[in-house]
Amino acid sequence: MTSDRKMAQTTLEQRPAGGHRVSQWALAWRRLKKNKVAIAGLGIVGIFIVMAAFDRLVALYPPKCILGVSPACQLDGRLHSNSPPGLAYPLGTDITGYDVYSEIVYGTRAAFLIGVGATGLTMLIAVVIGLAAGYFGGWMDNLLMRLTEVFLVIPFFLLLLVFLQVTIKLAPANTGSIWLVVFVIGAFSWPGAARIIRGEVLRVREFEFIAASRQIGASSYRILFRHLFPNVLHIIIVLATLQIAASILTEAAVSFLGFGAPGSNTWGQQMYNSANYVEQAWWGTLFPAVFVTLMVMGFNLLGNGLRDALDPRLRE
Amino acid sequence: MFLVPVFFGITLLVFSIERLAGDPVQLYTALNPHINEAQRQLLRQSLHLDQPIHIQYLSWLSDLLSLNLGFSYSGGSVAVLISQRLWATLELQLIGLTLSLIIAIPIGILSARKRYSVLDVTITSSSLVGTSIPIFFLGVAAILIFGYNLHWFPSGGFQSSDPSRYLYHNLLLDQAWHLFLPATVYTFAILAPVVLLVRSSMLEVLRQDYILAGRASGLSERSVMYKHGLRNALIPIVTYVGLYFGGLLAGAPVTETVFNWPGVGKLFVDYTTQLDFPVIQAVVVIITLMTLVANLVTDVTYAYIDPRIRLE
Repeated sequence: MTSDRKMAQTTLEQRPAGGHRVSQWALAWRRLKKNKVAIAGLGIVGIFIVMAAFDRLVALYPPKCILGVSPACQLDGRLHSNSPPGLAYPLGTDITGYDVYSEIVYGTRAAFLIGVGATGLTMLIAVVIGLAAGYFGGWMDNLLMRLTEVFLVIPFFLLLLVFLQVTIKLAPANTGSIWLVVFVIGAFSWPGAARIIRGEVLRVREFEFIAASRQIGASSYRILFRHLFPNVLHIIIVLATLQIAASILTEAAVSFLGFGAPGSNTWGQQMYNSANYVEQAWWGTLFPAVFVTLMVMGFNLLGNGLRDALDPRLRE
Repeated sequence: MFLVPVFFGITLLVFSIERLAGDPVQLYTALNPHINEAQRQLLRQSLHLDQPIHIQYLSWLSDLLSLNLGFSYSGGSVAVLISQRLWATLELQLIGLTLSLIIAIPIGILSARKRYSVLDVTITSSSLVGTSIPIFFLGVAAILIFGYNLHWFPSGGFQSSDPSRYLYHNLLLDQAWHLFLPATVYTFAILAPVVLLVRSSMLEVLRQDYILAGRASGLSERSVMYKHGLRNALIPIVTYVGLYFGGLLAGAPVTETVFNWPGVGKLFVDYTTQLDFPVIQAVVVIITLMTLVANLVTDVTYAYIDPRIRLE
C-alpha cells in the first residue's frame, strides 16, 4: 500500500511541471492545426471523402444515366451529347450523354480505391523490406538493397503500360477491373519508400533503448514490432499519404493513355473517353483532370504538413 | 560494381514479360491472315523459339550486347525507329530541363534567403500546388487555350506536314513554333519540385558556420549565396538531375502523346498498344542503361563538387 503510494508520488513528480500528459499524436495534431496549408489539404481530402461516401446524394443523376434517353433522366426527351455546361448539367455532358459532373462524383470512390489500395500494397512491401534490411543488416541488407536498386532503375511507368497491355491481350474478360491497375502500381512503387524506411530503422536501431531491450532478452520479433516499427511509423504515415497522391496520378495518366481498365469509371478513363472530342467538348476531358489535380493536391499538402508535424526531431 | 547484376536482372525481367505475353509468333503474324503453319514453323526457327528458354534468353542478350536490336513485328529496324524519334525527345527534354533549372534555382535561393516571409510562404505553397498539377491537365488546357481558341500555336506535332504552310516559309521557325507550347508546359510541369529541392537544400547550407564566417568577413551577398551557398547545396540537385537524365529517353510518354510529339515516349506508347516486343524491349533496355550510366556520372560529379567525397 505504502509502496504503491510512493510510486504514484514519484511518477507524479516526474511529470513535466504544469501539465497533464499529452500523447505524441495529440502533440502532432496541435502542430498540424497551426499549418494552414496542411489544414487546407485535410479539408480537400475531407470533402472528397464526403463525396465518395454520399455519391448518390451529391450527384445530380444516377450512374451511367444518358441524359434524354435513360428513363431516370429524361429531361426534354432529346439526347444531350457533348452539350456545353448549362443549368441541367453544370459541367456539361460527354459524347454518350452522361452528365460530366455526376460521373466525376461517381469516380471519387474509384480514386480512393486506387490511391488507398495501391498504397496499402506499396507500404506493406516497403515496410517489410525496410525493416528487414535495416534491422538484420549484413547479407540480408545487401540482397534487399540490390533488389530495391533494380526496381528503382527500371522505367516503372513504361513497364506498367506493358503489363497492362499484356493482361488486356491475355485475359480480355478481366480488364474491366481496376484491381489489376491497383496491383501493378502497388507492386512497383515501393523502392523509394523502402529505402527511406531502412534509413530511419538504421538511425533508430542505434538508440540505447534498443540495446537495453536486447540486453534483457527481447526477441528480434519483439524489437522489430514493439520498438522499431512504432518509431518509424511517422515516416510511414507521411510516405503513405504522398503515395496515395502519386498512385492516383499514375492511374490517371495510364488510363488517359488508353491502358486503363476500359469498363471502370475512373477520372482517367473519363478523360480518355472524351479525349477525341476535346476540340468540340473540352469539358469532358478537362473537368475530370481538374478533379484529379484537386485530390492529388489535397493529399500532397496534407502529406507535407504531416511530415513537419510528425518529425520527432522537431518535437518541443 | 553492382551495376552489372542490376542490369542483368532487368534484362531478365524484360525478357520474361515478353514470354508471359504468349507466343511471339502469334503476335508477329497477327496481321497476316494468309500465313500457314509451315511458315510459322520457319519463323519460329529463325527467331530461335524452338530452342530451350535459357538459350533463347542468351541469344537475345548477345544480340542486344552486340547492338543488334532486331526488327519490329510491323517491319522496320528497331534501331532506325528509335534513332528517328530520338532527336525530338532529346530536344523537348533538354530544353525543358535547362529552362526549369534556370528558373527554379534563383527562385529557390530567394525563398530560402527570405525564410518564413510572405514571399517564401507564397513560393513554397504554390510549388506544393504545382507538384500536384498533372502534365495532362496543363497540356490539354494549354492546347485548348493557345491552340484551338487563340490559334497562337499549333495544337501538336513536330512541324507542319505541308512545306507550304511553314511559318514564314522557314522550316526552323516552323519547328520552333511547334516546340513552344510543349516546351513551356513541360518546363512548368517539372519546375515545382526543383524549387522545393533548391530551397530545402539551401536552408541546410545557410545554417552552416562558414556562411556566417563569409558574411562576417564582408563578402558580398551575391558571393555568399552563389559561390559558397549554392555550390554546397548542389549535391541533391545533381542527384535529381542525374536521376532525371536516366529517365530522359522515356520521354514523358504523356507529354508526347498530348502534344502528338514524335518522340521515343510516343513511339513506346504506340508500339506497346500493338505489343510489339522488339521495340518495347529495346526502349526499356536502352533507358535502363542510360539510367545506370547517369548514376555513374552523378557519382563522379559529386566528387567534383565536394572535395570531401574525393578524399574518402
